[in-house]
Amino acid sequence: MKKNQIAITLGIMCFILTIGICIQLKTMNEASSTASRTLADNELRDQVLKWKEKYENTYDILKERQKRLEEVRAIATQNDTAASAKQEQLKQNNIILGLTDVQGDGIIIEVADGNPESIIATINPSSVLVHYYDLLGLVNELNNAGAEAIEINGQRIVSTSSITCEGTVIKVNGEKIGSPFIIKAIGSQGLLYGSITRAGSYVEALNDYGVKTNVTKADGIYIEKYKGVINYEYAKTISTK
Amino acid sequence: MEKLKEKLVDQFKKITLNDLAVAIVLFIACATLICIMFMQFKTVEETDIADLESMRETELRTALSEWKTKYDTVASELADTEKKINEYNDKIGNDDDAEKLINKELQQSNLILGKTDVFGEGIVVTLRDNDIKKISANDLIELVNELRYAGAEAISINDIRIIQTTSIVDIDDKYINIDGRRIASPYIVKTIGNQTYLSSVLNMKNSGFIDRYTSDNYSVEYEMRKRVEILKYNGEIVANHLMEGEE
Repeated sequence: MKKNQIAITLGIMCFILTIGICIQLKTMNEASSTASRTLADNELRDQVLKWKEKYENTYDILKERQKRLEEVRAIATQNDTAASAKQEQLKQNNIILGLTDVQGDGIIIEVADGNPESIIATINPSSVLVHYYDLLGLVNELNNAGAEAIEINGQRIVSTSSITCEGTVIKVNGEKIGSPFIIKAIGSQGLLYGSITRAGSYVEALNDYGVKTNVTKADGIYIEKYKGVINYEYAKTISTK
Repeated sequence: MEKLKEKLVDQFKKITLNDLAVAIVLFIACATLICIMFMQFKTVEETDIADLESMRETELRTALSEWKTKYDTVASELADTEKKINEYNDKIGNDDDAEKLINKELQQSNLILGKTDVFGEGIVVTLRDNDIKKISANDLIELVNELRYAGAEAISINDIRIIQTTSIVDIDDKYINIDGRRIASPYIVKTIGNQTYLSSVLNMKNSGFIDRYTSDNYSVEYEMRKRVEILKYNGEIVANHLMEGEE
């Protein structure tokens, strides 16, 4: 009787252990395939870094050559008043288009995701977060107040800029940015500040939703040029006779 | 006490050599199995980490192609700049030719800025107020943003050119105001750009503007055109508060 009991107990134990091993053998097979993938990952990571560096180096050269182009352009047109005026206009266009670093007086808006443990957040966690459409709304409001140059976290807003949301990530000009968002705007300082801080403004609404906001006036704001290339292929000028 | 001792000895005698061997074999088998199990627990833990790594693989591939594209655009822009530098260098001292060069550059720059009437392939999206949904400024902002994402080169709404500094606002929930000009339904949004790309982004299931707004009961029509004409910006484009930045 006792022998039977021992045999049964041992039998059950062995059975459980065998099942355990079978399950784990399956996992192990998967593990070995991911192990080789990890190796490939490292190679990929190296490649990403290599191309990033290549881009950055070329971008630096481009920036320097564009300056040179401006110089040569000025020299080539200096003897001709008409051409010289056009050269000036081109320079002014590039300032407006966002193809030149600019500076001037304006305001700085800071918006950041609010406290996730606040009362508002417990009712609706999404309400204290800054969404892509909030940034779109702020840019629109700044434009309405006559902003001449806008930048969000180092990304200059140009005519081809879009602000999108991919999963939980916000992208401006295709670059990922995250909270806190620092929006710099150059324009008429009084008009910008008055419009952004007025009762019923977008910033006030965000504040009510539990988003952290702060608006300050700033002099001599420096905004870097757009880091991409604006190149139109499909739109052609209709020549007027 | 004596009885108990007798009983134990009695039981011990009952255990034969055969029984002992069975017990030992079973014990060894169990010990081996347990050892293997522990070894494998370790591998399972590692598998979790490897899983995270493999999840990043797709991200890495996207990042790689993004940097490659960025490099390509910058490299071709650099080649373009070098070409222009050489052209200007050749024309130093020859005023007529220098002016021709500057005219070409200025024309392209004015085109991007929105100072010229333009044409090209593109799409036309028409939004209408209906009994259920009314189009608001935010809807137009959303559409313009999505068009820009899809590579729009020129956009106009009811023939008002949308430029970089354009703002679109609601006035008392009755009208929509674009850069100081009042417009009303229907809103005809013309766009020039790569037709295929524009329409595929806009028509994307669940995330594209047309799919989202149509399923939300808005009236949205869209049409591809081989030739879309967009008027120039009606107004001055100036920047009085911007100075060229000095590093």
